[in-house]
Amino acid sequence: MTNGGHISAEELTLLAVGAMPEEHCAALRAHAAECVDCGAKLAEARGQAALLALGVAQEKPAATIKAELFARIRAEREQEEMYRWPAKSGEEAAHAPARKSRRGWSLVPVAAALAIATTWEWKENQRMAGELASANHQIVKMTNERQRAEMLVDLLSSPDTVSVRLAAAPETQPSAGMVRYNAKRGMVVYTAELPALPADKIYQMWLVPATGAPISAGIFAPGPHGTRQLWTAEVPMNTEVKAFAVTIEPAGGVAQPTGPKVLVGAG
Amino acid sequence: MRPQGSTGELASDWSLLERVVRKDEEALSALYDRYSGLVYSEAKRILRDTGAAEEILQDLFYQIWRTAERFDEARGSLGGWLLVAARNRAISRLRRKTGKTEELKENGVGLRVDLESRTAQNLLLEKVRGVMQELPEGQREAVELAYFEGMSHTEIAEKTGQPLGTIKTRIRSAMETLKRVLG
Repeated sequence: MTNGGHISAEELTLLAVGAMPEEHCAALRAHAAECVDCGAKLAEARGQAALLALGVAQEKPAATIKAELFARIRAEREQEEMYRWPAKSGEEAAHAPARKSRRGWSLVPVAAALAIATTWEWKENQRMAGELASANHQIVKMTNERQRAEMLVDLLSSPDTVSVRLAAAPETQPSAGMVRYNAKRGMVVYTAELPALPADKIYQMWLVPATGAPISAGIFAPGPHGTRQLWTAEVPMNTEVKAFAVTIEPAGGVAQPTGPKVLVGAG
Repeated sequence: MRPQGSTGELASDWSLLERVVRKDEEALSALYDRYSGLVYSEAKRILRDTGAAEEILQDLFYQIWRTAERFDEARGSLGGWLLVAARNRAISRLRRKTGKTEELKENGVGLRVDLESRTAQNLLLEKVRGVMQELPEGQREAVELAYFEGMSHTEIAEKTGQPLGTIKTRIRSAMETLKRVLG
């Protein structure tokens, strides 16, 4: 720290953007946690850096993710309800007699044993509840995956879905792709065999409508060693498409195509 | 339908969080609708993997559901925290590190801009994209390698073949431009 024992402006920026080497971060964070002034400045720098995330192409997550989240929450709530520690009601507690007889004291070891047994049982129930919640989560996840697969099968077998082969654009490396497009549902499913790109570049799929500007159908990166992947995207429904194209764009994707076309196909 | 407060205005993140603390699913749903696109797009940009981005998105909102009471309004904005947490988790996964889960009560993120309404978000998206496009190539590259690829300034210097001091200056200049434009 070069700012009279405080974190310098440059260090704050580098830390917030994530460019500070890990070995220097701990000391700076520790100082920010203790020093109110540096803590506030770091929070502000973090907020500024977070805005960089707004520069990337915006995509909507699939609706199934929200459904899965709430199914997970509900499954957990049900488990909690089932294994809730039975609390004494206010009325019961108010009427409980305060007895201090010798017989009462003789029951202390029994009560202690019972308490230990009950605590053990409660802990066991908690553990089982956790396991059940996790199993439920897995079931919900698998159900959603199955629903997604069914949606894809349904889409691919629908008579409204058109298939378009994508071929390498002139003067580019040999590559190919396939698009399945259902205008009624506003869904695009595609695969592409393309070479890997440097870290600062990404492929972006475009629908070229009969009228108007190209519509993005998402950014994608081929898997390692040419792994075949299937990408899906939601686009505005009932868009009449005259062509599909894949371009190379800056890593976050762009609102309108700027880079070279690598795959093209007529709709 | 947009979440409304009692007087008909757009419900603030803070009022929705208070309802989440009381286990109000509708309030969590409103927060999800408000921020899921931003969080998902950021995670996908970093990881380039739909499944992994979806997992981060879902886990973050699940964490909000479980620990909403730990979020302290005084420590910053929920939108900012979500963006920073999504970035950190995605980078941890990208670099195969075991990332520490961000606690809602720590790592304050101060956002001076409004992210709570769709209109404000759209305006900001446009502004930030504009700033990024206008930045000199070297500045944009340095900032993107740090924020989206998780590279330290020394790694960026090695990758780009530029002196370390130049990389630090580029990052700082880029962030100053962003700050100046966004006010």
